[in-house]
Amino acid sequence: MSKPNDLVQGTLDLLLLKILALEPLHGWAISLRLRAASGDVLHVSEGSLYPALHKLEQEGWITAEWKQTENNRRAKFYSLTRLGRKQLESEAANWQRLSSAITQVVQLSEA
Amino acid sequence: MRWEHWWFTTPLRLRSILRGRRVEKEMDEELRFHLEHRIDEGVAHGLSAEEARAAAMRAMDGLEQRKEQMRDMRRIHWLTDFMDDTRYAVRGLRRTPAFAAMVVITLALGIGMTSSIFSIVDAMMFRPYPVPQASGVVTLVSTSQVSAFDDFSYREYLDIRDKTKSYAGVIATGDMVPVGFSANLRSTPRVKGGVLVSGNYFHVLGVDPRLGRAFREDEDRVPERDAVVVLGPAFWKDEFGSDPSILGKTIRLNGAEFTVIGVAPETFPGMEIFGHPDVYVPLAMARVFSTDRQKNFFEDRDDRELNVTARLKPGATLRDAQNELAVLAKNFEREYPKLNHARGAAVHTHFEMRTRPDDGNWKFAVIFVVLALAVLLVACTNVAGLLLSRAKSRTREIAVRLAIGAGRFRLVRLLLTESVVLASLGGALGIALGYGVITWFHTYQSVIFMTDMPVSIPFRMDMRVLLAGVAITGLSALLCGLAPALQSTRADLVSGLKSADVDVPGRKRLWARDVLVVAQVATSLMLLTAAFLMLRGFQQGVLEGTGFPTDHLLMTSFDPRLVQYNTAQTQQFYKLLAERVRKTGGVRSAALTQNIPLGKENFDGVAFVPDGFQMPRDRESFNSTMDTVDEGYFETLGIPILRGRGFRATDTADAPRVAVVNAPFAKHYWPGADAVGKHIRLDSHDGAPVEIIGVAQSIQYQAQGDKTIDFVYLPLAQHPVARMVLMARSSVDPLQLLSPVRDVVRSLNPNLPMLDTISYGDYYRNQAVEGPRIAVKLVGAMGAVGLLLAIAGLYGLVAYNVNRRTREIGIRMAIGAGQGDVLRMVMRQGLVLVGTGTVLGLLMGFAEEQLMNSMLFNAGGVDVVVYAVVVPSMFAVTMLAAYLPARRASRIEPTLALRYE
Repeated sequence: MSKPNDLVQGTLDLLLLKILALEPLHGWAISLRLRAASGDVLHVSEGSLYPALHKLEQEGWITAEWKQTENNRRAKFYSLTRLGRKQLESEAANWQRLSSAITQVVQLSEA
Repeated sequence: MRWEHWWFTTPLRLRSILRGRRVEKEMDEELRFHLEHRIDEGVAHGLSAEEARAAAMRAMDGLEQRKEQMRDMRRIHWLTDFMDDTRYAVRGLRRTPAFAAMVVITLALGIGMTSSIFSIVDAMMFRPYPVPQASGVVTLVSTSQVSAFDDFSYREYLDIRDKTKSYAGVIATGDMVPVGFSANLRSTPRVKGGVLVSGNYFHVLGVDPRLGRAFREDEDRVPERDAVVVLGPAFWKDEFGSDPSILGKTIRLNGAEFTVIGVAPETFPGMEIFGHPDVYVPLAMARVFSTDRQKNFFEDRDDRELNVTARLKPGATLRDAQNELAVLAKNFEREYPKLNHARGAAVHTHFEMRTRPDDGNWKFAVIFVVLALAVLLVACTNVAGLLLSRAKSRTREIAVRLAIGAGRFRLVRLLLTESVVLASLGGALGIALGYGVITWFHTYQSVIFMTDMPVSIPFRMDMRVLLAGVAITGLSALLCGLAPALQSTRADLVSGLKSADVDVPGRKRLWARDVLVVAQVATSLMLLTAAFLMLRGFQQGVLEGTGFPTDHLLMTSFDPRLVQYNTAQTQQFYKLLAERVRKTGGVRSAALTQNIPLGKENFDGVAFVPDGFQMPRDRESFNSTMDTVDEGYFETLGIPILRGRGFRATDTADAPRVAVVNAPFAKHYWPGADAVGKHIRLDSHDGAPVEIIGVAQSIQYQAQGDKTIDFVYLPLAQHPVARMVLMARSSVDPLQLLSPVRDVVRSLNPNLPMLDTISYGDYYRNQAVEGPRIAVKLVGAMGAVGLLLAIAGLYGLVAYNVNRRTREIGIRMAIGAGQGDVLRMVMRQGLVLVGTGTVLGLLMGFAEEQLMNSMLFNAGGVDVVVYAVVVPSMFAVTMLAAYLPARRASRIEPTLALRYE
């Protein structure tokens, strides 16, 4: 089964929340944004994007709304909820802690 | 945080459940939107439409799997799985309707029995007071060496109310007593139930009147100043048609005028289990009610007639209240050493009061619950047995499921769902059955109470009983479903797949069913024993007879305190009443007695010292039960005087004091000698001497089977009592005497009500025959159901085994086993199970007999006849259940059996 490829478990949630914190987007736009923002370093399978979005929605962190796109098609736009904003803050803080800890370990000089 | 989470997610879950199709469509649309963009992108990069589509699908990494993942994200798969399982279970059950019906009916019997019995226990023990914050309401009792549940006197109540700090309020109430009620001066008084309450009663309990107002505290301060009354809700409805203009009007209670100030709400039928007061009157009006006239209610500290109840302050604990009250009781004892000698006090919760050791009703309820649970257990084990044999026939199916990757937990869930479906159906039917049983209880309302007072059977199918029924259903689903589900999913895959009939021979696999049958036999034996014990207990009493003819006897009670008669007036009233009734046409003779035989109220006790009897060193006096009767009593009831004479009109208050004793009494104290002419001294050795003038034959006094107790009769003229029962022996239908007797009473005092007027024959039939029959019917029904289930269980087990071993039996017969051998072999199994069950059941039966003896009959010893009847018949019936399939086994054709697959 495919996990979020090359991604530390759980970081996809953080990325999605962060992206949606900037503006409400539909799934396709999110996948484009993911590709662009992270360059080719983080490869997110498109397949795992939608289950992840559904999970965030069911947790109540993001909410969905059907709206018209600029080229007049119906699409499901996701936006962050108040609960999601809190979740983003705590996950971001977690990430900061984790990455700085890992950085420190990695930078240990080999004595 | 948690709450906020649910706030956001609950609507989403609901939407997934209720609008499932819509959610699916939106999911498809969202994915399609993505794929189309992806394809457009691919085409823009120069791919063909086909290639772009393939690439898009590839990027998705399996579209259907993704969809399934997304569905899982909705967190409702437990529900959808459950619905799938349910659908599967229902389909399976519809294929085997006979099996399903049998299981459902079995469970319905068990659940119906248990939930209807729970309504009794709930009413007796658990149902909270019908007031807000009922858990804070506690009962205060006075304790002495004789009783741990005494009442308090008015003075003591005032002290408790004013000197304690643990309570938000302390209230006092009298017992519910008969009150003569008439709407106006002209109408004849009728008996209603009235209760004296302190002025703060409704306020402290937190009960707001439905209409008008509650008592003010000052209305309870000055004796006989504020004649105000609050009506009970049922009384207001029945008597005044719920007329709101009743407020401010006057009604007459015991001949005195009272102003109606309020009506209690329907939600508050009163604080007692059975009684629902018609009228509430302030304590200050106590004189109008029948308080003890020998004493001064408002002053005498030992006139203990009040139940004291209190509401704990928020934060105050029961222990604090206990300690505080104990100190107060010590002070009482110091201040009034004579009146409060060795007298303490205690605080009890509602539950403690309901389960007080000196009360028998709740013990009855507990016995019934134990029995009902036994039936439920039998029902569940039976269903478990049925499910187990069904699961066995599905071994192959289950093995296939396991082989292709179903988790064991998932399979157990699937099988449990089936038992949940069965139990739900059984539960629904059972609760309906329970409702029927409770309704049936209510048809015995008049039989059980037979009184004019507002009392009713408190058992009802309410929310609490319903919930209990649902809980019992869930429990039985688990009880009967879990063991079979676990056992059948432990299947050995290899052999399970190989053959449809895989049962590995060996003891271990079938232990569950063996245990079930043993348990069934044991519990049903116990139930039948209980039913027979009760039947025998009651029958013995009925067969023995009362000791006097019960027909052509009218009875009616009087309490002249209701019209404020003093002792002299009361005596005069009874004298005239008896004289005039005797002269009435159709009356052969008439008598007055303090208590009727087999009455609801206990006979008084009397302490005495027999002259010329060597007292044991550790005793100062003996005790006997007694009755106060007039000179017509022995003749009217038809109780033979064996020696000496009965009372005469000449045994007046001024004449030498006399008594009549019963034969056991005479034999007890003067064995071999004539008791007539001997003397006893009442109370103690220096009490007044009383000459025994006659010896009467024994009758049944308080309970059936108590003909051997000591009994003393004292003449009414020498031993005045306020409340007496008139008994008139008629030459016609006793109820025809009703109106002439009523005329006599009216001529003496038009305000005096006649209480509990009924023919003694009817009373006796209901009390001694019908009433106990309810209990016997109930237990007997449980036992019969239990036995039926046990028979079905045993038959099923043996038949199943025979089926399973057909091939084996065929081989045995082919190599020379005779029919008898096969019969014996199959029967042996049944015999072992029934034997074990019988031994266990006997042990349980003995234990239960001890319990019942200690609680109800006081007979002591083991009733051999019961076991001599129950055990062999039980054994015979169950062995028959094993014999039928065994015989079939013995007739197996070896050639057919060997081909059997």
